[in-house]
Amino acid sequence: MSKRQAAASGAAEYLTIAFTYFTVGVTVSVTLVDRGVDTGLTVGAAFMVHSATSVLAYVAVSDAGGAMIAGLLSGWLVASRFGLLAATLGARLHVGVPERVLAGLNAFDPNVAMAVREDKPGRVRSVFWRTTAMMIGGWIVGVFLGLWVGNVLGDTSRFGLDVVFPAALLGIIGGALRRRDALAAAFSAAAITLILFPALPAGLPILLSVAGAAVGVAYSQRQQVPS
Amino acid sequence: MTWAAAVFLMLGVAGQRLFGMFVAGSLLARRPLSRSFADLVPVAVVAALVAQLTFSRAGSLEIDARLAGMAVAAVLVWRRAPFAVVVVAAAATAAGLRAF
Repeated sequence: MSKRQAAASGAAEYLTIAFTYFTVGVTVSVTLVDRGVDTGLTVGAAFMVHSATSVLAYVAVSDAGGAMIAGLLSGWLVASRFGLLAATLGARLHVGVPERVLAGLNAFDPNVAMAVREDKPGRVRSVFWRTTAMMIGGWIVGVFLGLWVGNVLGDTSRFGLDVVFPAALLGIIGGALRRRDALAAAFSAAAITLILFPALPAGLPILLSVAGAAVGVAYSQRQQVPS
Repeated sequence: MTWAAAVFLMLGVAGQRLFGMFVAGSLLARRPLSRSFADLVPVAVVAALVAQLTFSRAGSLEIDARLAGMAVAAVLVWRRAPFAVVVVAAAATAAGLRAF
């Protein structure tokens, strides 16, 4: 690849990330506005929590009638991946404490993945912040546009917006699902929830689906044992 | 969503990010099995949410246009379609079925 082609594909990657986070921002706002959440709280929740998956997980559990604590636990559990991503980034980022705090608070899937691909410490830092800027830029515009879209649409299930919600979540984990152990974890977790859902209090089946992660680990352990 | 929920979610999410940045790296490096379990927790919980959002309606299981939309979404995710395409196609499929 020539230098020019490399630059072009790099720019395309940044734009794709910005557009993805724009769409995620729209989804989060529309989802909250659709549930009667006012403008201030929709924007506040989006920017304070700083994790679309956490907000959507909380909303999904409270929609099902789950207690607040069950919603919070689900929101925290799905964000645990950001802790792991921050750990991965932390090992490669050689900067002072204030910048480490800021970088940690902004650890998302694409910016960490793109940063740790780089070899030189200086490049890790610049690629991380550049990707972060693109993501957050797209996210901010998306959240505000979503406010407007949510208010204009009215009856959202007519537009299939109740499917936007699960489809967005599926899209978020789509990359991870290419691994066999992740697929095993995902299918077991889904099965656990669907079996327990009619019997247990709302929210509990989601929390118990964590057991699916153990199935995934068991699966990968079995693959490693030579037969 | 309430302000209290937003604040608690924020504290939990930011706390985990900082814990990861400053503490978890060295802890997890020494425990590969915990690391792979922790790796899979978010995927498992999100998959459970997807299942619930696809099949549940007012406390019981129900199959409707949502399933068709999600089938389209699954195929598109598998084919590595852009995020926006996945979301819009899923919504359009469900909306299309409901229009009939």
